[in-house]
Amino acid sequence: MKDQAEMDNSMPTPSKISASGVQVYYGDNHAIKDVNVEIADKTVTAFIGPSGCGKSTFLRCINRMNDTIDVCRVEGDIRIDGEDIYDPKVDPVQLRAKVGMVFQKPNPFPKSIYDNVAYGPKIHGLARDKAELDEIVETALRRGAIWDEVKDRLDAPGTGLSGGQQQRLCIARAVATEPEVLLMDEPCSALDPIATAQVEELIDDLRQRFSVVIVTHSMQQAARVSQRTAFFHLGNLVEMDDTDKIFTNPRDPRTESYISGRIG
Amino acid sequence: MSYQSRHGSLLTEDARTRKRNRAESRFKAYGLTAVIASVLALFMLLASILSNGLGAFQQTFVTINIALPEDKLDKSGVRDPEVMAKVSTFGYTPLIRDGLVQTLANAGIETDQSAKALLGLISKEAPAALRYRVLANPDLVGQTVSMELLANGRIDGFFKGRVTMESAALDKNTSPEILQVAQQLADDGLMTTRFNWGFLTKPDASDQRPESAGLGVAILGSLYMMIVVLALALPLGVAASIYLEEFAPNNWITDLIEVNISNLAAVPSIVYGILGLAIFINFAGLPQSAPLVGGLVLTLMTLPTIIISTRAALKSVPPSIRDAALGVGASKMQSVFHHVLPLAAPGILTGTIIGLAQALGETAPLLLIGMVAFVKEYPEIGIEGFTDPATALPVQIFNWTQRADPAFVERAFGAIITLLVFLLFMNLLAIFLRRKFERRW
Amino acid sequence: MTLITSPLALTLLLAVAAYWLAKRRAISAAKGDVRSLAALPTAYGTNAALSVVIPAFVGFILISLYSGLAPRAEDVAPLSKTWFILVPAVLGFVGAIALSTKDFRARTASERWILALLMGASGVAILTTIGIVFSMLFETFNFFSQYSWTDFFFSTKWSPNFRGDSDLGILPLLWGTLYISFIALLVAVPIGLFSAVYLSEYAGPRMRAFAKPAIEVLAGIPTIVYGLFALVTVGPLLRDYFAQPIGLGDSASSVLTAGLVMGVMLIPFVSSLSDDIINAVPQAMRDGSLGLGATKSETIRQVVVPAALPGIVGAILLAASRAIGETMIVVLGAGAAARLSLNPLEAMTTVTVKIVSQLTGDTDFSAPETLVAFALGLTLFVLTLGLNVLALIIVRRYREQYE
Repeated sequence: MKDQAEMDNSMPTPSKISASGVQVYYGDNHAIKDVNVEIADKTVTAFIGPSGCGKSTFLRCINRMNDTIDVCRVEGDIRIDGEDIYDPKVDPVQLRAKVGMVFQKPNPFPKSIYDNVAYGPKIHGLARDKAELDEIVETALRRGAIWDEVKDRLDAPGTGLSGGQQQRLCIARAVATEPEVLLMDEPCSALDPIATAQVEELIDDLRQRFSVVIVTHSMQQAARVSQRTAFFHLGNLVEMDDTDKIFTNPRDPRTESYISGRIG
Repeated sequence: MSYQSRHGSLLTEDARTRKRNRAESRFKAYGLTAVIASVLALFMLLASILSNGLGAFQQTFVTINIALPEDKLDKSGVRDPEVMAKVSTFGYTPLIRDGLVQTLANAGIETDQSAKALLGLISKEAPAALRYRVLANPDLVGQTVSMELLANGRIDGFFKGRVTMESAALDKNTSPEILQVAQQLADDGLMTTRFNWGFLTKPDASDQRPESAGLGVAILGSLYMMIVVLALALPLGVAASIYLEEFAPNNWITDLIEVNISNLAAVPSIVYGILGLAIFINFAGLPQSAPLVGGLVLTLMTLPTIIISTRAALKSVPPSIRDAALGVGASKMQSVFHHVLPLAAPGILTGTIIGLAQALGETAPLLLIGMVAFVKEYPEIGIEGFTDPATALPVQIFNWTQRADPAFVERAFGAIITLLVFLLFMNLLAIFLRRKFERRW
Repeated sequence: MTLITSPLALTLLLAVAAYWLAKRRAISAAKGDVRSLAALPTAYGTNAALSVVIPAFVGFILISLYSGLAPRAEDVAPLSKTWFILVPAVLGFVGAIALSTKDFRARTASERWILALLMGASGVAILTTIGIVFSMLFETFNFFSQYSWTDFFFSTKWSPNFRGDSDLGILPLLWGTLYISFIALLVAVPIGLFSAVYLSEYAGPRMRAFAKPAIEVLAGIPTIVYGLFALVTVGPLLRDYFAQPIGLGDSASSVLTAGLVMGVMLIPFVSSLSDDIINAVPQAMRDGSLGLGATKSETIRQVVVPAALPGIVGAILLAASRAIGETMIVVLGAGAAARLSLNPLEAMTTVTVKIVSQLTGDTDFSAPETLVAFALGLTLFVLTLGLNVLALIIVRRYREQYE
């Protein structure tokens, strides 16, 4: 654990996720064009790019959330720990337990805070009894950096929290199923600056345990939280490199135009 | 780390996932079963209607030659219909009987049945039909005419499989011997079962003569009621919707009206019948069984439906249209009547047709305002017709279910087919209008 | 009819005259230059025509109400009826013509008349409710002056007798009503709900294109058709293959017959309401659950349905209100015998059946046996109104949650 945390972010660990030749179509629209990505374990990888560039679409391929959209078709090869996740033998349900997701808008269930977090462990059968479940919930809420705020009102509805709290609750909910990869789709876009700072701090903590992939609209955020950054443009992966490098010395002129604010 | 190893290979389904997937399939199967059950119910319903009702459009007729002697029908010899009208239908019965016996003899059909019993082959309505024909054309007197007459309901039932030799043996209205004669007539081509327009055009008939009962009065009555509903519910509904959607201030009165309308839409239809009975008949003194009263009751019943769909249609016209009209100096009223209303018209029309279809099939309230009465006379064509007694399609169906002769059950189902065909056309029209004029903003 | 026709014709004639006169007068006041008028000439005409028709119509309504309420018909001479219509019409005529000057804002005035018409039209909804309540309240009071209300509400015996001395207890009727409605809901709620869930969450486009309209067709079929289906097909089927073999009864009309058929009638109602409600649950909620690795059915059962529960409860209440008020299916399928029994294969009767039977045929509006129908009607109205209002409140609150 420790040595992993100390590992320098300029030297990526062996790939957790590797994608090659990924194509995504929405009906006739070719949304992702031949993307190849390697994502390391125990790092935060940011996907940036102008809206409609396909970064969220690609993110949703990694835990097959695109399966829920009828017209969406995915081609190519995405492997997690070397296993092809689009293999017909793979059950997306099992995959999503391994690859958790946090969404753009906080979406707590209309249940109590406790039940929101306990939902995942319950369906996956992670707890043998109530005491164990309590423990899982507490750990998850602590990891979501929201335990102190809600520990006295676990029975209150999750929808009654503030926006930032809701999003941290959703992160705790995702963490509770003990995934190995955590996908975050613009998790701060609906939050105010203070809540954003709290969530960013949390993402940095999460890196110790998970491989985090975050889609963000804000370049500053990518620079603050990620070690690796991928720049998407019009469905293409333009460039992927260490975050420092992307922001100081990009190779592709399109990346440079984007980070200097000329396109986007 | 312990949790790291918790996730096994993605390529093998772990036990828990297998169990959960089984639960998933079960759940899906419940859903599919529910859908199949609903669709099956529809098919059973339609099959029951068609198998029971299609026969009603067919009727058995017998063709016989009838001599029309002058000494029985027109002793004066002046061929004046008014004088000839003195001979009642009873005077025509022997002529038919003799004609039938003669026809059987000519066809070489031998029977030991009495002439009176043989008359049981023919509808009791036949003498009236013959009389009507003679009075319409007095010159026929003195000739022998060939006439196609309705066969008795039992005979008709025999050819449709409803009456069998066994059941006829127990029936005092017919007998196996008579059925045999009918079979011979059919073999000789004198008795045929064919499409019967009379079912759609003739008035109702009494218990003893189901073969001649038709839907004419009921269709006319329903038509009159639909005219009343259209003439009242459409303008009232549109006016109320325009007020509520475009002009009504946001206050408790408006709220009250809105809550009222959504409640009225859910009030049981029979309650509207009580309203009609108490207000229109007992209080306002309008006549019972009149299409006008039925139409008024159905108007009140349909109004909420029309208002709800009209408001939806008005709401779907984007505010920019109103702004554009107001922007060139039109008054609010002008912007609504010149721009919003025409754009909402297809939606309003669709809603109105669906409301009318609902009203056309409604039975319960009409029972209470006396439309269940036995009506044999057509209502007048024109304004007076709205206050003449009439019946309506669904009530006629109910009426026939209350009769003893099973031939009426067939007719009730036939009437249902007729009613459903009308409803089908109305709904198709609504769908057509929606498809043709639907506009996406 | 002729009584109304003549003043009606006169009023219309007057309106046409007013239209032309007002228009003429406005044009001549403008000395031929219509641009100097405060409104278009047709606006003057419209205003004048409405000034005739609307007051006449109001007069007609007032005199009709009065003549209906008046104790004796002779109190309202035919002549005064005519006056009530024509006097306002003529006053409106004179007033409008006199007002039609160059500076008169005729368009505003005519629009005010139209607005009044629109308001009147929406008032019809309120009038209908008032009409419903009063038509039943009045006769219900009459009934309770002849028959004790405690016997009506608490007696378990229903046996009307037109020679008098009837037992008119509502309990057996209410029992039949509720029993049949319960069975109907037992059929309609699971099937409707599961159909809605399956069609919106699982079914492919082709299946949906076929099954959805098929279920909707069930909603468009008139209740008399269901009634006859119960009487001719379902009733004998249940009797021959179910009731008689297990020895529970030999009647074709029964609680089960009516309940089953009514259940089929309610399937599309429950399913389309549930469909709306389930679709109102935001996709984000489903994504949240699926993203955690829940299966579709887990998502539906543990997230979507609980989130939609208030709406679904509202829909069930509305369906219950429908079932309680349904008439033709029970008239033809349930039977006429008032009975308090638990056996669903026996014939029982309902409130609506008795309203029909007491109010059709020869009725004597002074006998309690006839008047009881109004008390039954009022009970039915109050019952369904309560359910509707409750359901509307629940559904409305639910909708607001997601808007």
